[in-house]
Amino acid sequence: MNKKAIWIDCDTGVDDAFALFTALKIEELDILGISVTDGNTSLDNGFRNTRNVVSLAGKEDIRIYKGANKPLIGKSAMDASEFHGEDGLGGVILPESKAEVERKLAWDALYEAVKNSKEKVTVCAIAPLTNIATAIAKHPDIVDYIEEINMMGGAAAGGNTTCCAEFNVYHDPEAAENIFKSGIPVNMFGLDVTMKVNFSRADIKEMETYGNPVAEALKEMVKYPLAYLDTVSYQNDICLHDTLPILYAVKPELFKGEKCAVYAETQGSITRGKTVTDLWTDFKFEDRHCRLFLDADREEIVKITKEAIKNY
Amino acid sequence: MSDIKKRPVILDGDPGHDDAIAWVLAATCPEFDIKAITTVAGNQTLEKVTYNARRIAALLHLDIEVAKGRNRPLCGDLIIAPNFHGETGLDGPKLPEPHLPLSSLSAIEMMAKVLRESEEKVTIISTGAQTNTAALLIAHPELHEKIEMISTMGGGLRNGNWTAGAEFNILVDPEAAHIVAHSGLPVQMCGLDVTEKALVYPEEWDRIRALHNPVAEVVAGWFDFFFIHVSSLGWAGATTHDPCAVMSLVHPEIFDIRDYYVDIELNGKYTRGATVADFDNISGNKPNMRCVVGLNREKFVDYLVEACSRFEGWEI
Repeated sequence: MNKKAIWIDCDTGVDDAFALFTALKIEELDILGISVTDGNTSLDNGFRNTRNVVSLAGKEDIRIYKGANKPLIGKSAMDASEFHGEDGLGGVILPESKAEVERKLAWDALYEAVKNSKEKVTVCAIAPLTNIATAIAKHPDIVDYIEEINMMGGAAAGGNTTCCAEFNVYHDPEAAENIFKSGIPVNMFGLDVTMKVNFSRADIKEMETYGNPVAEALKEMVKYPLAYLDTVSYQNDICLHDTLPILYAVKPELFKGEKCAVYAETQGSITRGKTVTDLWTDFKFEDRHCRLFLDADREEIVKITKEAIKNY
Repeated sequence: MSDIKKRPVILDGDPGHDDAIAWVLAATCPEFDIKAITTVAGNQTLEKVTYNARRIAALLHLDIEVAKGRNRPLCGDLIIAPNFHGETGLDGPKLPEPHLPLSSLSAIEMMAKVLRESEEKVTIISTGAQTNTAALLIAHPELHEKIEMISTMGGGLRNGNWTAGAEFNILVDPEAAHIVAHSGLPVQMCGLDVTEKALVYPEEWDRIRALHNPVAEVVAGWFDFFFIHVSSLGWAGATTHDPCAVMSLVHPEIFDIRDYYVDIELNGKYTRGATVADFDNISGNKPNMRCVVGLNREKFVDYLVEACSRFEGWEI
């Protein structure tokens, strides 16, 4: 089988866990490595969670690297513990991974992996973009080895952390701007599309019948965010935010995107962290190397997710 | 008609083809009592838009002296839009020369006078940068209570047009828009969310032209000119922005209007002038803006054609 080489950068997180459990069951993917950054939860939490998720999936051979413990500039403004719980996984304690702890840092590991890969590599960034920006800063020629960056982050309209900014971009706007200006083609899966791909409460009920360790773990993990969602009016279900950019690497036909420019506002007093696009404006930027996704085949993505979880 | 209780209005704009069409609508509206016409720099320089305003007043037989407003934004540098509106700011059909002298009052003095003297609360229809309205609000706190509503064309909750972040009227004077948005007064915003859906297609302004009255022929000519640039941007119809600020007052039932908290970005590398809406009430702030976000386009066109039909037998 002709496998697709990808790298995953994450901040595990409940929706990262869904994405990882799904990705690790997709045979067409060749996951070269996984790096972790500070974001949904602290770097240490995210690192532990990622290792334990991958271990539970039975893939301890995939190497996992620690990256940034704070954004490029300033301190972490906030985490998403309101949603994911203090530990990032809604208080669920997974069996400790027995894999050896990697000492190499995320940006060096990523650089080596893409440089040694026969094919250009797709980087799936489902966290703040700090690690990727650091890799580009330290190893400028890395841009020659990356085919594209599939990112979960931003929103063409609206936001979830401020009125107009999404969490991953808001957490490190300078890193995001760095990615948008890197020249690497970026496929942006922002709230415009990810909020349409929900894993409904009925889907969770069905998952509860699978009875394998992964399904059991996810069943417990979603309780914390679901309790949070009961307190807000604008969203009822868990969304599979982080699954989309990974799935796009092997199933692009499930997604509908448009070519445009996207940049990240780093200066605004109320718009810091907003992703600014010329998709709908008469004004057009000169450099338009992004694809912004607005729609996806929710049914099929949920089906793939369920099949993956069921198969553990 | 005389038994209808009329709504006093001030027309404040920077004509501009779409301002001009908005004023044609306002002039034909039996519910409106037009108390003043004031101008502001924007689509073209203040001198040019003021001359245009006086010519429009002559065309529409409005016996109102035009009052000239601010020639530049409160803080920023003036931006103009000759690509849309031509060198005069209202290129296209020939217009009558002004029939009245320019008012000796400034726009802000005129607005204040109208508010002070009016028994009814007054509605300001702002179809340009909000510079005059903001200046009025900061200079005359005692007159706020005389304002019924400020109906604006400007901004866009989803997207901009002049930059990736901002719509033209707000971008010209973001600080003014900020003052208006946070005034605590009822503000209605017709942003690109509705005005880019308020498309009028060439065959539809041919219906206006076919009315064969002098004003209708001018309006069709304005559409012809405005559409030259608009169509080059890929639009299939003319984006009829400013008339929405009038029509949404007269026929609110054909519009989709929602209350949101909206703030104006004053800084930002890409976003100066962006109108930022809190769709999901993340900020916890109470709505400060009635946002017009959609419309029944066919009815909008029908009302526009109907308005132009009121000028049968008109002489210019």
